Amino acid sequence: MSEAAATPTPPNKPVALAPKPFAPEDEVTLRESLKRCSPSTFEAAIQFRKTGNPEHVPAVVIGVIERFVEPDLRVKLKDADDDLRLIEDLGIDSLTMMEIVILVEDVLQMSINNEELRNLRTVGDVKTFIDCKVRGLPLPKPTKFLPIEHIGSVMPIQPPFLFLNEASVSSTSASGKYKITGQEFFLQGHFKDNPVMPASIMLEALGQLAVLYLLEGAPAEPGKRVSPQTIFFTGCEGVRAHRLCKPGDILSLSVKPKRMKMPLATFEGSIRVGADKAVIAEEITLTFGFVDIVEAPAPVAALPAATAPEPAPAAPLRAAVNA
Amino acid sequence: MPRVFITGLGFVTSIGNDAATVVDHLRSLRHGLELYPPFQAPDIPCKVVGTIKGFTADSPDPEDWTFPAAYSIKRELLRSMAPNGLYAHCAMLQAIADARLTPPEISNAETGLYAASGGSPYLTHHHHERLQKVGVMRCSPLGIVASIVGTLNFNLVAAFRIQGASCGFSSACASSAHALGFAFDDLVLGRQKRMFIVGAEDGNRDAILPFAGMRTLSLQTDPGLASRPFDAARDGFVGTGGATVMVLETEDEVARRGVTPYAEVLGWGQASDGYNVAISHPEGLGSAAAMRLALKASRVEPAEVEYVNAHATSTLIGDISEARALRAVFGAALPRVAVSSTKALTGHGLSLAGVMESAFCALALRHGFVPGCAHLSTVEPECAGLNLPRTTEARPFRTVLKNSSGFGGANVAVLFRGAA
Repeated sequence: MSEAAATPTPPNKPVALAPKPFAPEDEVTLRESLKRCSPSTFEAAIQFRKTGNPEHVPAVVIGVIERFVEPDLRVKLKDADDDLRLIEDLGIDSLTMMEIVILVEDVLQMSINNEELRNLRTVGDVKTFIDCKVRGLPLPKPTKFLPIEHIGSVMPIQPPFLFLNEASVSSTSASGKYKITGQEFFLQGHFKDNPVMPASIMLEALGQLAVLYLLEGAPAEPGKRVSPQTIFFTGCEGVRAHRLCKPGDILSLSVKPKRMKMPLATFEGSIRVGADKAVIAEEITLTFGFVDIVEAPAPVAALPAATAPEPAPAAPLRAAVNA
Repeated sequence: MPRVFITGLGFVTSIGNDAATVVDHLRSLRHGLELYPPFQAPDIPCKVVGTIKGFTADSPDPEDWTFPAAYSIKRELLRSMAPNGLYAHCAMLQAIADARLTPPEISNAETGLYAASGGSPYLTHHHHERLQKVGVMRCSPLGIVASIVGTLNFNLVAAFRIQGASCGFSSACASSAHALGFAFDDLVLGRQKRMFIVGAEDGNRDAILPFAGMRTLSLQTDPGLASRPFDAARDGFVGTGGATVMVLETEDEVARRGVTPYAEVLGWGQASDGYNVAISHPEGLGSAAAMRLALKASRVEPAEVEYVNAHATSTLIGDISEARALRAVFGAALPRVAVSSTKALTGHGLSLAGVMESAFCALALRHGFVPGCAHLSTVEPECAGLNLPRTTEARPFRTVLKNSSGFGGANVAVLFRGAA
């Protein structure tokens, strides 16, 4: 009995936006539930419970997360962006996540099921998730982790000019890693007896991550997808390099879309090595285009025989799949 | 067969939260019993408890607890603990420092931990109540590991990164004596080279009051008279909580690390009454058998034993049973064996009792004193013939036998010898 059994996902029921009247005894219970959270968390929770206004939700969620983070790590939440990771950056394990969920459920009067929790990796994921729950909107696509095999299979750019080892893509951002091995061909000449990763290549790596976002994360029009053959670089603004990057360094790349309107997508991007800022790009702009999604042809065996008067029965096939 | 030694001790008890204070109480026979505030309600007839000082764990929320500033425990560890887990964690830290163990010596496949506690009826009650009140899916995710029997080993094994043998023992008031015995076996068999033995109890309202239904709790309102094993006027036991941790090591480890042990564990024995679920055998049949087996396994003659730390809890039936068992085992040697029950000072620690009192024996061997019988004025006639010193005698001695008995008629006896 080491893990709770998986339960099927019920439909995402919105929280009633017209809350039941907030009674004085509810305030006592709420104050007790939130006694270890900041006063502003309590204030936001009370406003939400009285008005149902979803604008108060992020403050409640951040306040609850803060309460469960070890005191020496709480400073990270003070000026956190949405990319702050729950496990790696805040030390939150799955049991602490359950504590957070139960308190959020209790305070916001909602139910969150096990399946929904699996995809929450960052503070931004949690905020978006709770916001969608409260507003009754469909949940966003979860952050996808893409190993090198997957990246290689979808990208128009290939080795030896692919500068991503792994990546995570969500509908709002993408992050990736690249380790400078020292075997990159251009390091033989850049520079003489002193291999340094060219800044232009680092900008290229950010561009590649943006390409991956367009292919794997960007919301597309219904029935369409971004075509890898349509993506090209058009321009960049405000690029600054802050640190020499050498063999052995692991580049942590991230990009976020700022504007997206066919045929242009503009991103902000940054590269860090450990805690050091390495490269900032205020804007990287790519062109892109959509193609229609063509359904993959069904396997021949499942197609109705051209000469047969009746379509092949579907039931036996389904039975075989289920067997 | 490798010899086994006690190399470290840690205490959070009603008579002190460190070895020096405990020694002081054992020497001066000052008890740790008090009128326990939660028992002062008019509908609760028993009033006295062996209280833990310097700690407060009277909230179901571990973040409300307070403990001495010398200990720092992260919320991540606290959140899954019962009160007895808090006491034990602190006693573990003491025992580790006392035995001078480094982190790699604690965390390896040949260092294990055996523990005994009755779980936390207090937290079980709290979490079940919450389950009823706020719903099944909103009970605390750590509620189970904080409250069920086994909470002690779950928490300590994870917190101290124990990688060897680990297990919880559940034979009521013989539990931690069983833990000690089986830990000894693992060391003798070469399965482990170092073992932590942990006993702990909440010692609060929910842990103690259920014994009232059996009418086994003392109703005395004077803390100085409530626990008096072997006295004609005894009227039941006084509950207590806290924790004790003992480190056992093989002789090779003792030599390799160059530490001075408290005492050697010579051997142990166990036997059951096969008689009643809660009442001890009137002639102390199982207790006598356990003592004989322990003596045989240790190759010790009854006449060599100089002190018996009795199980005697100050109950009407139990003390007499044990006295009869001692008479049967020691026969002609009985007058030369000093007998006392240190429960007169601490109260009865239930699952904690066996290892706590074994640790008292280790302190007595190292510091050269035989603990006396506190609060004993008129000896129960059925216990006549026992050598019951009224004060602690300062004299070196070599061999001690520790008795423990629990519900179901489980009996354990362990023999220790001074290491000098």
